[in-house]
Amino acid sequence: MQKVFSKRFKYEFCNKNVINFVIWLYIVYIFLKKVVEMITLSIRNVHKKFGKVSAVRNLSFDVEQGKIFGILGPNGAGKTTTIRMIAGVIYPDEGQISVLGSNNISEVQNRIGYLPEERGLYKKLKVSDQLVYFAELKGLDSKLAFERARYWLKLLDAENWLNKKIQELSKGMQQKIQFVATILHNPELLILDEPFSGFDPINVETFKQVISDLKKEGKTILLSTHIMEQAEQLCDDVCLINYGAVVLQGSLRDVKARSGRDTIVCEFSGNGEFLNKLQNVKIISMSENRVELRFDKGFNHKEFIKGMVNNLDVSKIELSEPSLREIFIDEVTKMRENNGN
Amino acid sequence: MVTNLKFWTIARHEYISRVKTKGFIISTILGPVFLLALVLIPAIVAALSIDKTEMTIAIVDRTTYGIGKEIVKAQPDKFWITKNSPAELNETILDGKLDAYLVLNNELVKDNKVEVYSKGGGGIGFIALIEKYVGGAITRHNLIQAGVDTATINLLEKNIKIETKKITEEGIQKDYAEFYSIFGYVMGFIVYIMLFMYGAMVMRGVIEEKANRIVEILVSSAKPFDIMFGKIVGIGSVGLTQILIWVVFLFLLTLLLPSVVGMFQNPENLQKISTASQQIGAIDKFEIPPIPIGLLIAFVGYFLLGYFLFSTLFAGIGASVDQEQDAQYISTPVYLPLVIPILFVTNVMANPDGLFATIMSLVPFFSPILMTVRISATTVPIWQIILSFMLMLLTFWGCIWISAKIYRVGILIYGKKPNFREILRWLKQA
Repeated sequence: MQKVFSKRFKYEFCNKNVINFVIWLYIVYIFLKKVVEMITLSIRNVHKKFGKVSAVRNLSFDVEQGKIFGILGPNGAGKTTTIRMIAGVIYPDEGQISVLGSNNISEVQNRIGYLPEERGLYKKLKVSDQLVYFAELKGLDSKLAFERARYWLKLLDAENWLNKKIQELSKGMQQKIQFVATILHNPELLILDEPFSGFDPINVETFKQVISDLKKEGKTILLSTHIMEQAEQLCDDVCLINYGAVVLQGSLRDVKARSGRDTIVCEFSGNGEFLNKLQNVKIISMSENRVELRFDKGFNHKEFIKGMVNNLDVSKIELSEPSLREIFIDEVTKMRENNGN
Repeated sequence: MVTNLKFWTIARHEYISRVKTKGFIISTILGPVFLLALVLIPAIVAALSIDKTEMTIAIVDRTTYGIGKEIVKAQPDKFWITKNSPAELNETILDGKLDAYLVLNNELVKDNKVEVYSKGGGGIGFIALIEKYVGGAITRHNLIQAGVDTATINLLEKNIKIETKKITEEGIQKDYAEFYSIFGYVMGFIVYIMLFMYGAMVMRGVIEEKANRIVEILVSSAKPFDIMFGKIVGIGSVGLTQILIWVVFLFLLTLLLPSVVGMFQNPENLQKISTASQQIGAIDKFEIPPIPIGLLIAFVGYFLLGYFLFSTLFAGIGASVDQEQDAQYISTPVYLPLVIPILFVTNVMANPDGLFATIMSLVPFFSPILMTVRISATTVPIWQIILSFMLMLLTFWGCIWISAKIYRVGILIYGKKPNFREILRWLKQA
């Protein structure tokens, strides 16, 4: 009797189909888990009103782990409202925000670094005390916080600021301190609202480098900006919002490809005045020996190239994608016109 | 647990960053000096003003019995007899060569009257001088006229000394009622100043964080309630530290006092002050009795509860404005219950067991100051102390409920000058 049972047991569980099914289930589970883990931040149908004004309308997007995600949009589009909701400073009226696998942001606060648009530091506090306090608030031990503060300031050539009071520092210097305060506790998700505003070009480059280094470490970075060149250089994915709603969304490459290869860049020498007479063409920028232009449907490539070669000494003709800046301006003006009608 | 940790981080930061400042050290040291000066200077000034009145007074004596001579005999520095006529004296006064003159005649003396002519003013010391010497001489003369003998008059002029005794379970002890009511007044005043100072400190702290936009980083790191209450506890600990330093200092002082008093008794100046203050009717012998520990504990307890009560409200006010100037109008309802009890202190001191004092001292917002005064001035029934604590705790609970809501909404709203209707809306919204 026992033998029969054990045999049967063996048979049932050694059945290849069953084993395959279990393995398959496990693979699906791993895959799903990976997918879920890959999404650091997910926003679903979020609405936020201030009084009667809708700041954010039905906003949805995902930010994948280890990527730099840019929220773009004109002033007053709802960028900062969105970012503040993600940082847990304000709460959405409707919809769901899930950060680092949690729907309750206060649970994962310690793993987020937030750089607000309007920077704030205690004016009378020493730089070291300031940095240590903010890091402690994120759950870091004070000694470790001090070590890291010193490390970062050294990296930014600012080690001798440690004992200075905030009010003794210039605005740019304070910006640096604020940035360091944001990353001191080694957060997995960085939320940077206009991270480069107030920096000189050299510091902009420094912090671009810092941000891409952090990305290499596997950090997820969400940043907002209205300077498209910066977004183009840094971001993997972008989301353009206007009037509190998403206009365009996707990877930088997709967004650009979607708007088509309708831009021509030429480098030449000679008098480029004839370019102004061309039809079905919009000149985006023109300097002495370089022109960037976009063409409409009725544009005749052959004639254009003929004209170029006949009139000018051309060194380069390139068909390329429009810059993010162009896409941005296009979309925003399109929306304004629609709203006007 | 996580949030608790953050609460303590915030409280510790507020405490350490404030205790380290020069302001704290200076106010801890100078506080008692300042307070002592506040109590002593008016007494000293008043006492000295009698001797210090530099006015000399001429006497036109037209009495038939020469009362003027007696006055001059008693105080030859200030009074002298003149033979000039009032018309001439008027001119010398206008020339500035004479301060004042007074006219005495039989009828005026009989009516207990003195006529004094001067350029006007002269101050309290001037009046007190005339009252004491001229008035004294007149009274004496009139008494003699009425047939009272000099022995009786001398008896009358002696001040009555009241020695109060207190009945306690340990037997009859000397009662320092006068001292304790003044001590209570001083304590009540300290509580008032401390509540004012530290309440405003909480408010300013909240406004600073809001105005400098620090609050956004704080809110993204901790719960608003922890931020607010951590700040209140941290700053309250600063106040407590200061008070404990003072209490220990006071305790040591009472231990060392006998020798300290001995040291001060030598200088003649101090002697002068005390005789002068006798003249004006101040306390004639100021002994410092032991200060009971219970009183100090009650003092600390009432400060703490009062602080929590007011500072939560101040935190709510701070969160609702963008800058300090805007807080003035909206903070009036908080300042008012803080100031009102100070107006009642003298009433309470005069009759600390009365119905008015009892009721007023049980009003939660008035308790910190008035109860401190009462506990010092009299023996307050223990049920009243417990009741006042309960009422304060209850009110505190209500205050923190309201303030936390105002804080949570207000702290992130900029560019609006709030009024009470707006704040009411926030309360509903939160």
